Amino acid sequence: MTVSYSGVTKSYRGRLVLDDISDVVNEGELTALLGPSGSGKSTLLKIIAGLTPLDSGRVSLAGKDVTNEPARNRHIGFCFQDYAPFRHLSLRENVAYGLKVQHVPRAKRREQVDELLHLVRLEEYADQYPHQLSGGQRQRMALARALAIKPDVLLLDEPFAALDAQVRSELRTWIRSLQKELGITTILVTHDQAEAMEISDRIVILNQGRIEQAGRPSFVYDHPATEFVASFLGPITTLAGISYRPHELELVPATDADSYEVREVVRLGFEVRVVLVDGDAATWVQLTHDQAKQLNPRAGQRFGVHVREKNATAKSAAAADQDAVK
Amino acid sequence: MAALLDQAFKGGLGVFWSAATSTEAIDALKLTVVCSLFAALFNAVAGTATAYVLVRDHFPGKGILNTIIDLPFALPTVVAGVTFYTLYGPHSPFHVNITGTWVGITVAIMFVTLPFSVRAVQPVLETLTIDAEDAAATLGASPLHVFRTVTLPALLPSLLTGTGLAFARALGEYGSVVFISNNLPYHSQVSSSYIYSLVSSGQNASASAVAIVLLVLALAVLIASNVMARQLAARRG
Amino acid sequence: MRRPSLVLRALVILYVGALLALPLGFVFQQALSKGWGQFWSALRDPAMDQAIWLTTKVLVLAVPLNVLFGVGVSLWIVRHPSKLSRALDVVIDVPLALSPIIVGLMLELAYAQTGWFGSSFAYLGLKIMFTYWAIVLASIFVSLPLVSRQVIPLLREVGEHQEQTAATLGAKPGRIFFTITLRSIMWATAYGVTLTLARVIGEYGAVLIVSGNIALLTQTLTLNIGANFESFNSYQGFVGSLLLGVISVLVLGVIGIARHRLERKRHDSFV
Repeated sequence: MTVSYSGVTKSYRGRLVLDDISDVVNEGELTALLGPSGSGKSTLLKIIAGLTPLDSGRVSLAGKDVTNEPARNRHIGFCFQDYAPFRHLSLRENVAYGLKVQHVPRAKRREQVDELLHLVRLEEYADQYPHQLSGGQRQRMALARALAIKPDVLLLDEPFAALDAQVRSELRTWIRSLQKELGITTILVTHDQAEAMEISDRIVILNQGRIEQAGRPSFVYDHPATEFVASFLGPITTLAGISYRPHELELVPATDADSYEVREVVRLGFEVRVVLVDGDAATWVQLTHDQAKQLNPRAGQRFGVHVREKNATAKSAAAADQDAVK
Repeated sequence: MAALLDQAFKGGLGVFWSAATSTEAIDALKLTVVCSLFAALFNAVAGTATAYVLVRDHFPGKGILNTIIDLPFALPTVVAGVTFYTLYGPHSPFHVNITGTWVGITVAIMFVTLPFSVRAVQPVLETLTIDAEDAAATLGASPLHVFRTVTLPALLPSLLTGTGLAFARALGEYGSVVFISNNLPYHSQVSSSYIYSLVSSGQNASASAVAIVLLVLALAVLIASNVMARQLAARRG
Repeated sequence: MRRPSLVLRALVILYVGALLALPLGFVFQQALSKGWGQFWSALRDPAMDQAIWLTTKVLVLAVPLNVLFGVGVSLWIVRHPSKLSRALDVVIDVPLALSPIIVGLMLELAYAQTGWFGSSFAYLGLKIMFTYWAIVLASIFVSLPLVSRQVIPLLREVGEHQEQTAATLGAKPGRIFFTITLRSIMWATAYGVTLTLARVIGEYGAVLIVSGNIALLTQTLTLNIGANFESFNSYQGFVGSLLLGVISVLVLGVIGIARHRLERKRHDSFV
């Protein structure tokens, strides 16, 4: 089902949280709502779900206007950041809740729940209670519970935020493959740009209640529309007042006109950052492990810094911003 | 509903003043305040000690001790009252007689107010990790010093509110006190029983007057203890 | 120092024992001092009989009403905050610190035939003061905050996410309430109910005033005990006390269990 929302505006306690937001999510796609805290992305998700009322605008699911429909009629699946397990119910009963609401007969219910538990690989924990499960397990339970009612849309609110790094990346990949397999339209809220880049078909970047840019992850990364998007999606470095992606600059032998002194060399595992200064100007360049081995930069040495690829995009974005400022 | 009270004493402000400041009323008030204060403060100390034992110490039967603390909440005040009277009164098996004395009244109030201090301090003690105390000990502080400088400041806000509540409650305590207090006007009458005697003789206006004084006092104590506690807590950050 | 010294432990036990346990034990001893036969016939004394019956009748009405009110108010205050509900939150704790005599006085002034509310009732030919209804009213008033004081913090802690999730799964508000909300506050409510029970059974001062203390008519069990002692009928008084004492101990036991369950539940959900 396609999800579309238009003109969505929401204020809370005098503060404008969402400002005339519109977008369309295509069927079967996973869209990431990306943005810093306070950008309004969780609020937008809850508005789509029907859990929070909007001040103005409309929300449509599969072409049908659901703006005035309560959450229970929208046929969506929602996962909270804290998973919101029903603490007094067992895993099995949690997953079965939606089916019970639909008055699915007991035998069929049990069958479907077993299927779902198998899907999320939690069969052996079926009779345990949420407090006995780990964070990752509760996450999968929340997912199974939401999927039980066969929703048209899946809404995930920062589903991986509370997990440790290892579990997070495994779960991330797993949910993505599950989503593709089921073909279910999904909207995922996150503040982690790496996560959004990795698993989404489309990224929507929100900042202070407005959509800064929306599009395919690789496109948005290479062609950021604003300075904000550029810096939010990945590290940037500046040279002569213009922003670049770190891999776009390279170190070359110093010349009289072009000479920077190495201030510091930071080794981050597979990448190496070289921080350089020239009087007041400072910049940094990213080298791969091998490049660093070859060049062997050390503090005090002098290098020149060139733009490696004639990549006009980062340049033009920053330049456009600067023009706007002037 | 409480507004009704005002209506009753509006039967003349002059009446109010004379009733409230009658010697009987003042004597009763003095007695009530003194006993309640003493009991509340004593129990603040005893309650803290009890909470400390309950939280930090472990021995068989501790659970029973913990449950018994709630007895004054569960036991009807009148039962406590008559029992105290019989235990420590004219027919006492211990051959003591503290009826009509402030001691007797204070004991009765101590019974009623112990749970307030214990239960106020207990949860704070439980969340207070032993680490801070250990840290102080490694720095060479004696156990008493540790208690005074580390534990006590942390407990003070809750202790203050708990004691304030206990005191306010004690001011109005009736059932457990009235029997052992002997009810002699001017000598051993607690404010609450004075009010009752006024009510049962139909002097509602006077009764309301004295009641308002008591209420205002209790309210003042409650607000004061809450404010102080909050300030203390804020200062600790 | 990690563990309190043995001396402190002994002191505390001694203090608590002398102050709390001793009186209770004494009640037991006194009531049974004349043997079982006397005990049972004393229980059947018509005044006591009536008193037991009255107290039970009061419980039957006062406790459920209080629970309904307590849970309702808690839900309102936590889930639908407004200026009014915030004011109520503050006001609701007042009965706890109020002297029972003062409560009795207030109610009497309000509901007597000439009072603010009482006059309206009198107009309708209904008498409130000095009847069963007055006792029920007083009982509800003094135990008003007991349920909500337990439920409100728990509701705040649990949060709305579970209920919202249930909504997305298709559940109607009624269903959400019974399957999710109620279950989450269950033990807190049980604890509050137990406290209410104890408070209503044991209320003395307020009921003394509003009931008129007429033996065989409007005398609750606590009043009965008091009256017995005042007329030097101490044995009878102790029998009644024992009855209440036993009930208190049972209630204490339930309180202990409920509190334990409540704390364990809280601990689990933080894991």
